[in-house]
Amino acid sequence: MTAVQPGLAGEAPGLRGLLGELGRDAAADEGAAGNGPVVTVSVAGPDLEAAVRRLAAFPGARLADMFASGGNPAIGGDPVVLRLVWGLDSDQRYLVIESVIEGERYPQLSDITPAAFHEECEIYEQFGIRPEGGKPLNRVALPPQAGPGFPRLGRAPAEPPAEVHAPHLVGGHAFEFPFGPVRQVGVESLYYGLVTSGEEIVDLYLFTWHKHRGVEWRMRGRTPREALFHVERTEGLGAVGAGWAFAAAAEAALDVEPPGQAMRARAVALEMERLYNHAAAAAALCQSTGLAVGQAAAEIALERLLRLNAAAFGHRYLFGVVDIGGVRRGPDASALRRELPGAYGELRRAADALLSTNSFLDRLEATGILTREAARRLGMVGPVARATGLTTDARADHLAGPYAGHPPEVATGDGGDVLARFRVMLAEAAESVRLIGEFLEADAGPGLTESPEGIAGRPGRSGLGWAESSRGEALAWVALDGSGRITRARLRPASVRNWRGFDDACRSQNVFTDIPIIEASFWLTVAGTSR
Amino acid sequence: MPLWFARGLRRGVVTTRYPARPDPSAAELPTPPAFRPDALTRELADRLSLVCPSWALTRNGDVLIFDAGACTACGRCREAAPGAVTASGEFELAATDPAHLVKRIPLLGEGP
Amino acid sequence: MSPASAAGDSGNPALPASPAALASPAEAADALRRSVARQFGRSLHIRTLDTGSCAACEQEIRLLTAPHYDLHRLGFFFTPAPRHADLLMVTGPMIRAFDIAARKTYEAMPGPKLVVATGACALGGVYQPDAFTHGTVGETLPVDVWIPGCPPSPLALLHGLLVAVDRLAAKVRDLTFTRSGGDR
Repeated sequence: MTAVQPGLAGEAPGLRGLLGELGRDAAADEGAAGNGPVVTVSVAGPDLEAAVRRLAAFPGARLADMFASGGNPAIGGDPVVLRLVWGLDSDQRYLVIESVIEGERYPQLSDITPAAFHEECEIYEQFGIRPEGGKPLNRVALPPQAGPGFPRLGRAPAEPPAEVHAPHLVGGHAFEFPFGPVRQVGVESLYYGLVTSGEEIVDLYLFTWHKHRGVEWRMRGRTPREALFHVERTEGLGAVGAGWAFAAAAEAALDVEPPGQAMRARAVALEMERLYNHAAAAAALCQSTGLAVGQAAAEIALERLLRLNAAAFGHRYLFGVVDIGGVRRGPDASALRRELPGAYGELRRAADALLSTNSFLDRLEATGILTREAARRLGMVGPVARATGLTTDARADHLAGPYAGHPPEVATGDGGDVLARFRVMLAEAAESVRLIGEFLEADAGPGLTESPEGIAGRPGRSGLGWAESSRGEALAWVALDGSGRITRARLRPASVRNWRGFDDACRSQNVFTDIPIIEASFWLTVAGTSR
Repeated sequence: MPLWFARGLRRGVVTTRYPARPDPSAAELPTPPAFRPDALTRELADRLSLVCPSWALTRNGDVLIFDAGACTACGRCREAAPGAVTASGEFELAATDPAHLVKRIPLLGEGP
Repeated sequence: MSPASAAGDSGNPALPASPAALASPAEAADALRRSVARQFGRSLHIRTLDTGSCAACEQEIRLLTAPHYDLHRLGFFFTPAPRHADLLMVTGPMIRAFDIAARKTYEAMPGPKLVVATGACALGGVYQPDAFTHGTVGETLPVDVWIPGCPPSPLALLHGLLVAVDRLAAKVRDLTFTRSGGDR
């Protein structure tokens, strides 16, 4: 469906010109009020490459996601539809390019925008279509045991993908060995290959298929509300971020606008999630540098924040807070007002002490450097990207709901090393406390949630949703059938975007013992990418 | 590191006394449901089985089978039937035999 | 050392009582399990294993050594080496692709050893058995203690570990999860 949202006549000439170049007429899409910040454009197969080139060169355009749908093997000739989601951050919009792929090939996109490579691999494994040119595609999504009969979102590929391997030829004194997936105690399984000449990390490459639980596959046929339970448990440490993005996508598809108080409740939960994750990252940083006292101090803060989550929202990890159409539980504002200053104070004091401890700072400075150019090229998001100097933050770039009235101060850093990421997280924690205070102040009136099961959704609708989780922009896209059940759900937690920068950060001038430090400073989850 | 030592002393002890003494923070944890058999009809039991997202509830004849191991304490059954389902308040749920986690709750009115 | 138990007339608590004293093989197995558990009561080394969790269980497990819970005061310690471990704490629904890694980790632990399935995913909730996951840890590993929760809080984890070493009784067997009308 060709759709350009109304109201674009007054938009920046850049965007209008861009859309004109993509060949779209300004035809209004009826009833698109809830979808204002999202523009969906259909591009015919032959025009796709030119469109992507144009977007990759457009200043301020960022490839946020790429995924496929359709290709149902039970329906003969069911075509695959490729969708690319671009963040036009300076224009406060998302642009979704849809293209029907005839046959099994589509243009080589990752040569134009490297941020698409991981997605090209995933689409090949799930839908069997691949870019022209024969560039080898890696196994990133499904385990090696996944034969042709393994449940997929579309058709099985004709040939299995290549296994991930060292990006450069291993020779001379360097040797290569696999590490994991069972590794240190109390951390998720993570499987990677290390190339080393002894101490120094020459190369590191991640296997990202070993925790594949088929979440997107499982969500088909469910109502959005049923599916939300599984969305939260895709990445439990990002339950609010992922839940909000998915709920927003479903609300866009159902044409539902949650009430203001519910949105502020969601925002309070999201900021609490950001706070506890940043405290946990601080604790992990201390553990990785062997600073047990600092770790204990950060853990005290973390535990107080988790208990506050339980007191304010009924669950330590904020499961079951977000609902389709609003929230299931609003915060206990008095508990928050009473407890948050003390809990944040613990974190603040621990952080002040850490920033005065030279032996700690020495381990962080110039470790795990990720350049701004690498972060931009790979389409990275969140504190990891902001610490390189990029300003991408979905709360500020796509003002919607509660943040429209309370725009956050975006924390950026310089240098892209572990210390810069740590500083960005601390600045964000302070900002989160301020925002929570503002949201609680703004609350008045009744009514927390609508009940969209009773709302007649328009059949065949789809929607895009987003939230700035603690790890960065979380995206979701959902397509519903006539009875409001999911035909395709796409979940893209921030971890999917950011793990691909981990090997870059580990590679430059780092040694083995730096790997846990860098991992703590990224503070991603394996579950968020291997889902 | 005198800085950390002094801070630690000032901070004091936060460690729980559990298991010697109960921990007050337990009161705010989400817990599995407790059912009122005298309020559970077959129809309600069927509805609750559909509402549970974790396959912890199924009806077998005149009995509602509740798997406390599969339960995530999400509260959806409680929200669906507040008169028949409350929070149990139990969090010490570890079992040495998975069968101990599966409870058979008699339904209203029908024979045993 | 472990206290002298009724289970061992040889004085070695690892041996069960003579068969004549017990009514059935099931009782003998239970007595053996309990005496093994008691050996670990004063000092237990724990290895964790993630078979596909959402990462929340891992965060609660990490908090066991945090100041609020301090696992070490109970004589429990984490160890990264399966060779040093007495107890394997397993999270996640046992993704099928993970079977081999799980078995290898378990087999690398010397006996006697205990397995604790942790969290609803490991106990058959959240995920049904399908092509992706077993849905429960019990199909791949022999489980001694099952800890419900999503995620189980550190208090629930402490309780479960203490049950595993027989320092606390498992009370869930006697819970009915029912209430008569008029309560609460």
